[in-house]
Amino acid sequence: MEILLQQTVNAIALGGTYALLALGLAVVFSIMGLINFAHGELMTIAGYVLMYCGLAGVPFAIAAALAVGAAMLAAVLMEIIAFRPVRNASGATMLVTSFAVSMVLQVLFQNLIAARSQPVLLPQLLSDSVSIFGLVIGINKIAAIIATIVMLAFLDWFMRKQKHGIAMRAAASDFAVARLMGIRANTVISAAFALSGLLAGVAAVLWVSQRASVDPLMGFSPVLKAFIAAILGGLGSLRGAVAGGFVLGFIEIYLAAFLPASMQEFREPIGLAIVVFVMLFRPNGLIPAASLKAEKV
Amino acid sequence: MLVTSGRQLFYSVFAILALALVASAIAWYMGPASQRILVVFFVSLIAVVAQGVYCGNSGIMSFGHLSFMAIGAYAASLLTVPAMMKAATLPKLPHWLASTETGLLPAILVALVVVALVAIVTGIVVGKLQGEAATIATLGLLIIVHGVLIGWRDVTRGSGSFFGVPRETTLWVAMAGCVIALIVARLYRDSVSGLKLRASRENAIAAAAVGVNIKRERLVSWVISAVLMGLSGALMAHFLGAFSPKNFYFVDTFQLLAMLIVGGMTTVTGAISGAVVITIVTEILRHLESGFSLGFVEVPQVFGTTQIGIALLILFAMFRKADGLTGLKEWEERFIKPHRKAAATTSLQAAEPDGILLAKGMTMRFGGLVAVNNVDFKLMPGEIVGLIGPNGSGKTTLLNMLSGVLKPSEGSFRIADTLLDGVSSHKVAEHGIARTFQNIRLFNHLTVFQNVLVAALSTRDGEDAEGRAQTALERMGMSKFAEMDAGTLSYGDQRRVEIARALACQPSLLFLDEPAAGMNREETDALMEMLRGLTRDLGIGILLVDHDLKLINQLCDRIAVLNEGTLIAQGTPAEIRKNPAVVEAYLGASSDHEDAQRTD
Repeated sequence: MEILLQQTVNAIALGGTYALLALGLAVVFSIMGLINFAHGELMTIAGYVLMYCGLAGVPFAIAAALAVGAAMLAAVLMEIIAFRPVRNASGATMLVTSFAVSMVLQVLFQNLIAARSQPVLLPQLLSDSVSIFGLVIGINKIAAIIATIVMLAFLDWFMRKQKHGIAMRAAASDFAVARLMGIRANTVISAAFALSGLLAGVAAVLWVSQRASVDPLMGFSPVLKAFIAAILGGLGSLRGAVAGGFVLGFIEIYLAAFLPASMQEFREPIGLAIVVFVMLFRPNGLIPAASLKAEKV
Repeated sequence: MLVTSGRQLFYSVFAILALALVASAIAWYMGPASQRILVVFFVSLIAVVAQGVYCGNSGIMSFGHLSFMAIGAYAASLLTVPAMMKAATLPKLPHWLASTETGLLPAILVALVVVALVAIVTGIVVGKLQGEAATIATLGLLIIVHGVLIGWRDVTRGSGSFFGVPRETTLWVAMAGCVIALIVARLYRDSVSGLKLRASRENAIAAAAVGVNIKRERLVSWVISAVLMGLSGALMAHFLGAFSPKNFYFVDTFQLLAMLIVGGMTTVTGAISGAVVITIVTEILRHLESGFSLGFVEVPQVFGTTQIGIALLILFAMFRKADGLTGLKEWEERFIKPHRKAAATTSLQAAEPDGILLAKGMTMRFGGLVAVNNVDFKLMPGEIVGLIGPNGSGKTTLLNMLSGVLKPSEGSFRIADTLLDGVSSHKVAEHGIARTFQNIRLFNHLTVFQNVLVAALSTRDGEDAEGRAQTALERMGMSKFAEMDAGTLSYGDQRRVEIARALACQPSLLFLDEPAAGMNREETDALMEMLRGLTRDLGIGILLVDHDLKLINQLCDRIAVLNEGTLIAQGTPAEIRKNPAVVEAYLGASSDHEDAQRTD
């Protein structure tokens, strides 16, 4: 029982990070149909900012804010430089473009920063743990869970109450009509990328605070998982992305905890196979995007 | 069965053979280093065309194809590695496998069967997903296969190197494999399945509406493409002699995609040119990677120069030439005139003259909005029925339900004695219902003839498809444009091609959604005459949606009027003109009778 609870806390922490990443992918996808492979590199950028801030002795709170800001800036720049020229192209074209952007950034990190994994200095507090009802829980796990809840609450408010958020939802439901209503395409797309950068930045801070290191491929594998989470939830659906992220987090952590040792090597394939199995029954995802049905004939 | 000019195919196959032979001969003459580069090139090219068979024809990007290459490589190698070697390196191998030792050819054949089985299963799963979700699913496939290869140590040696594979892929073996793969890919593109799949790439909804079973064609191309990929993997394994799971993961996926995209993924011509360009660029950058001197400056060693170079090449291609260097046509389609023998014209007589359409209680809700509310409707072969109503009254939605594009929230409809509830779009086409679309939905990058041919091939078991296609084009006066791309025609001509495409299905009922939109008076009159001919000569029943009330009044035997989703009137044109509810819907409550007359 205790193990189960302990692992549930871990699953919520990991699932929350996946949810934030998947949400960032979904925000962009719902508006312009782009699956951003380079989303992981936004994470990596935030990770390196944390690393440099640690070396320079900047307090962690400020470093985290800087890291998130850097990810947002990088996301907006990425859109202007790389994705604007292919904005109206097919989904496949945009996908491949982002794949290439991701590769370029990875090689740049390797050459300009370091090919190997670099340690990140973290405040001692994060590696402490507290005991709640007999469960020993790391502060970093608690921070991750709280940060996820705060971000999700913020995003919910932003999308429902804030002007740019409402504009984004309008653009996601019908971009052409949204533009006719006076919503500027560049503004809403930039805002979407900034938001996805924000989510990637927060995810990066959480990710790094569990691992205390950063390498050129840091963002690649969590974002692969976020892709899976996004289609599991329903591509382009924001609530689906969150649900998919948490479900995937639970699957991974529980498999790691409860799969017999002889099967542990197949953990990842088994986890994905479970996802595939779910998708067979819900091909449009757990919470499908509303726009799926709206295609004009 | 092939559906293109034999002459173009002949030139294509001839060119493939000639190029492969000339390249091999040159490499043979230049020595082992060049031969090695060419073998790698041949094997990569197999993989590129293999992926093109699926991605190019279906328009769905795949990141998972390297898994089939991996399966091919491991499966073939497990058979060819000498038994002695296996005993030493893979002691836990099942006995029957440990003691087997075959030559390269049988090993490849067995491996391809294994790949095909895996492809059938994975293809069915991926086929359930649409568009980008399918792409991500292929990514999942790559991760799953990679994970299994690493985990299944007893058979694959895990993440370690799988070595001791006999190096039997010589230049000539690679060449033979490559020629086979290129020819298979080229023939598939112009096979019945390939043409249908390309139509679905251009416009999935329209392809289904003319009877294409998109899922089936995607699965066929997925399996063919996987098998060719497996061939590439098996040959690669027997060239390298040693490999590990990381050879079949993201880095190589990237290289492969680059070749596919830079050249143009929809053609074999594109695959070849992409492979050539990327191979040359890679070879040049590989030399530069270790640092070089410009005479006055020393350029230091830069890791990943090749990767950056290739990435920039991809970005350039995406920004400037999203269809790839060679575009969407094979070279021979551009330069060799097609040679098509005139098929005997056939009658497009309504296939099921008794196919009466009966719909009851059709209702469609989009969230809270009731777009169509409890509509009963009847359409008989040989009559023309007009469906009119203000914008947003549900005309197109009703059409979409009756053609299987939308699944009604409630209600049922049947043609003759066949219940069509919940039947998918492509099967509705089989039952004699064909349609056109309000926003023209042609297969823009296929020729006019191919547009119509797809419809003929997908209905009535494809019987006499060429004849039906040509007859339909002639009837609409579009034969002169047969070899032009449909997307390049004028608006009116596109509408006529769309009708020809629907006719080629040999329907008993034809739904036309605003066929006269954008046509001038003369064109509309000609259209009217033509539609009368369809009912008179062929016995087809027509359901016509249009806002041109003159056209509707003169042409239709009956008119049905929708307003806010409800059927408010039905009857002869004369009755409808006098119906107060219709007058109100169109002109507002206060209008008097004379206003209604004026709209005639």
